[in-house]
Amino acid sequence: MLELNNLHARVVPEDGPAREILKGLSLSIPAGEVHAIMGPNGAGKSTLSYLLTGRDGYEVTEGAAIFEGEDLLALPPETRAAKGLFLSFQYPLEIAGVPVMTFVRAAMNAQRKTRGEPEVSAPDFLKLSRVAAQQLRIDPEMLKRPLNVGFSGGEKKRLEIYQMLMLQPRFMILDETDSGLDIDALKVVAEGVNALRGPDRSMLVITHYQRLLEYIKPDRVHILAAGRIAKSGGPELAHELEKSGYDSVMATP
Amino acid sequence: MIAAEALPNRRVEGWRWSDLSAALVGREVPIIPGDRHVLARIAIGARRMGGIVVNAGETRTEIERVGDDGLDTRALEIDVREGASLSLVTIQEEGDVALAHRKVRLGKGATFRQFTLARGARYARLETEIDVIGSNAKVELNGVYLVAQGRHADLTSQVILNADHAEVRQIVRGAARKGGRGVFQGRFKVERIAQKTDAKMAHNALLLEDGAEVFAKPELEIYADDVQCAHGNTSGQLDEAAIFYLRQRGLSEIEARAMITRAFLVEALPEWLDEAIRSEAEGRIDTWLGAAS
Repeated sequence: MLELNNLHARVVPEDGPAREILKGLSLSIPAGEVHAIMGPNGAGKSTLSYLLTGRDGYEVTEGAAIFEGEDLLALPPETRAAKGLFLSFQYPLEIAGVPVMTFVRAAMNAQRKTRGEPEVSAPDFLKLSRVAAQQLRIDPEMLKRPLNVGFSGGEKKRLEIYQMLMLQPRFMILDETDSGLDIDALKVVAEGVNALRGPDRSMLVITHYQRLLEYIKPDRVHILAAGRIAKSGGPELAHELEKSGYDSVMATP
Repeated sequence: MIAAEALPNRRVEGWRWSDLSAALVGREVPIIPGDRHVLARIAIGARRMGGIVVNAGETRTEIERVGDDGLDTRALEIDVREGASLSLVTIQEEGDVALAHRKVRLGKGATFRQFTLARGARYARLETEIDVIGSNAKVELNGVYLVAQGRHADLTSQVILNADHAEVRQIVRGAARKGGRGVFQGRFKVERIAQKTDAKMAHNALLLEDGAEVFAKPELEIYADDVQCAHGNTSGQLDEAAIFYLRQRGLSEIEARAMITRAFLVEALPEWLDEAIRSEAEGRIDTWLGAAS
């Protein structure tokens, strides 16, 4: 579903010199699989998520990202979203004055328009929203409040997954979704994420800790270090990391 | 008349960003002499001077549309008497030169609420002066300005508090595009007698593109010692991180910018607007945002 070939990328700050972050990253994520990316701070995990979703300020100098046979990097962020790419943000933004439901409905209809589909009807939307809110144990009153404004860290993460359930993306990137969540919230969020697992959907789960992977079980685990995949393995690799740390695991062949 | 003078003074400063004499060059504009505000004297010359008296205990709403002709100038003298209430809505949409001046006197326990929506003109100055002369008066001043290429909108106001226990709330929000100029001047003067005044002023502007201009001058002048007064003034650009967040969810860049700008502006629409005016105001904001894209 997603093929990354020898990606080299740099971050270009508005004021300051460009920095090389990704240095030859290759990764293949087939349909239906959940892959985890772990790695020390500064390895390029968040850069990868922004690059895939098309945020300004990141420049690919070499290599390619192919999503279902199409050059992902040539598309604007909203087209990538309409094709089914979803990023659960590490730090969700606060959008003053825009209620959650208003926003999600606008996003859903914008995606549908891009795909040439009819708009969602009000009753259908409400039904979907009710189911998603119930699944994530979100108070429906919260969905009438401005998006993320005054929400706790855990509520914001829950709202990210709510949006994910509503928009039904095909490729999901979860950027440190576990940070800011207590154990109970983590379980609820993981259940929501797992509800979306299926043969047509793939996920890239970015995390520092193995804890999240207890609940969202990956098919493959990759270690990202110094801008490339340093090591890949099965779920056991995450356990190994938790036990011995990055340095030790990467030292063993 | 409003030419540069050697030393700064309040009259010159009050017109620094909105040069009235330059705007009137080439027009026959009779300015009646006298002590009144210059905009009122122009309005008298144009026979567009009016008055509103709201008698004790009465409640009224007035809707006024400014800027229908090439040069539209008008003034109102408003007297809101004891316990009375006036809500004044002003919508300025078109026009070449649009001038409005209101002088408001508030009696004991009186309420004056104002909402102004200005699209600007080649030159637009909408000015309100309020004298609070009775205790326990309430003032709410809300405004939105939207200025694009070649448009200028100036919302100037002054509240002079000469009585105790007044409550004043002012919220003005503006958006400017390339070549547009927004001006906000707000002044609260709290005289020594006006103890227990509770006054808040806020002006926030978005500069949507390079080449947009916003000038702001919030002033608090306080002579009483037992009051609460605050002001907040900001101007800045849309948060690019927020724009990306919305685009990641599928909104186009234009839709994302419009959604955030709209939400920002709508917060200055007061609760008390009736449904028809509110939806008209929102519609005008949407049209402007759509045309601006």
